Amino acid sequence: MKSIVLPRPELAELQAKARWLALLMLAIGLHVFESSLPSLGPWFKPGLANLVTLLVLVWMGPRAAITLAISRIIVGAFFIGTLFTPTFVISMAGGLAATLVMIIAWRWFTGISLVGISLLGALAHMLGQFMTVEYLFIQQTALYYALPPLLLVSCISGWINGALAGYIAARLKPDDL
Amino acid sequence: MAVTICGMPSLTCQPLPRQSMSDALKGTWMDRALLLLALLAIVAIWFGIQAQIAAGPARAEIYHADTLLATYPLPQQGEKPIHFQVEGDIGLVNILIDAAGARITSSTCVTQRCVLSGTHRHAGDMIACVPNRVLISLRGSAASRFDAIVE
Repeated sequence: MKSIVLPRPELAELQAKARWLALLMLAIGLHVFESSLPSLGPWFKPGLANLVTLLVLVWMGPRAAITLAISRIIVGAFFIGTLFTPTFVISMAGGLAATLVMIIAWRWFTGISLVGISLLGALAHMLGQFMTVEYLFIQQTALYYALPPLLLVSCISGWINGALAGYIAARLKPDDL
Repeated sequence: MAVTICGMPSLTCQPLPRQSMSDALKGTWMDRALLLLALLAIVAIWFGIQAQIAAGPARAEIYHADTLLATYPLPQQGEKPIHFQVEGDIGLVNILIDAAGARITSSTCVTQRCVLSGTHRHAGDMIACVPNRVLISLRGSAASRFDAIVE
């Protein structure tokens, strides 16, 4: 009888997956924590979970960042009880818009630091959410009356999160995780 | 000491200089240029919107999806409050418009943030219950102030 030998993955590959999973757990924890905070406005959150996406982007690349963002939103929504609700759709649209814009900025914008990448991500997140609501749920341009102050808050939160990400990324190597 | 950060295998590893938090907050010139651009755009949009919403008497407009259901003038002190009920996508949404402003008193949505957001009175304020696809927009000659869109 022939014995079946299953190919064993490389240790480095397993370590990379374990690191990604650890960061996903952190992002989910922050996602759930943020949802329990008092609301500062429509769908507004400090964006701490997005900070983890930004770190994964610089440490592990675009594919890891986008899968982390999608996984975080799905599992996070499962824990807070909004899976497949309009809140989930809005959150997914915002998260994907932010991640895609951050990937584009990271790869193609010269002279930009994590602060600028995070700023663009935060603005894309807010715009993505509003456009999704206007397209899918409430087809009223009156919705956009609330946009400028929220974009202003996004600028502040995006800037601070980017600085935090830069501070962390400059001190912590992926291998340290 | 610089720490090397590696992205995709195809990309060159980029050394990130070790910096203090205050240095990190300053960003690069490109970051600051992007921030300035974003702030200018926000201010321009803000003034454009204010010119639209401040016109006419103070009133509350109630929408469901793409339909304007009703427009009510905001009652003054001592005037009778207005109760309005909207059949939303997942149930009934009860709206109260009185001298204090407009608010959603009950809704069938999960998070109840629209109810918890309380009363709004100023031009530009809005309350949205996204699962029910209901929006209340306040417009007219009142001090403009941002409030909230909430589920």
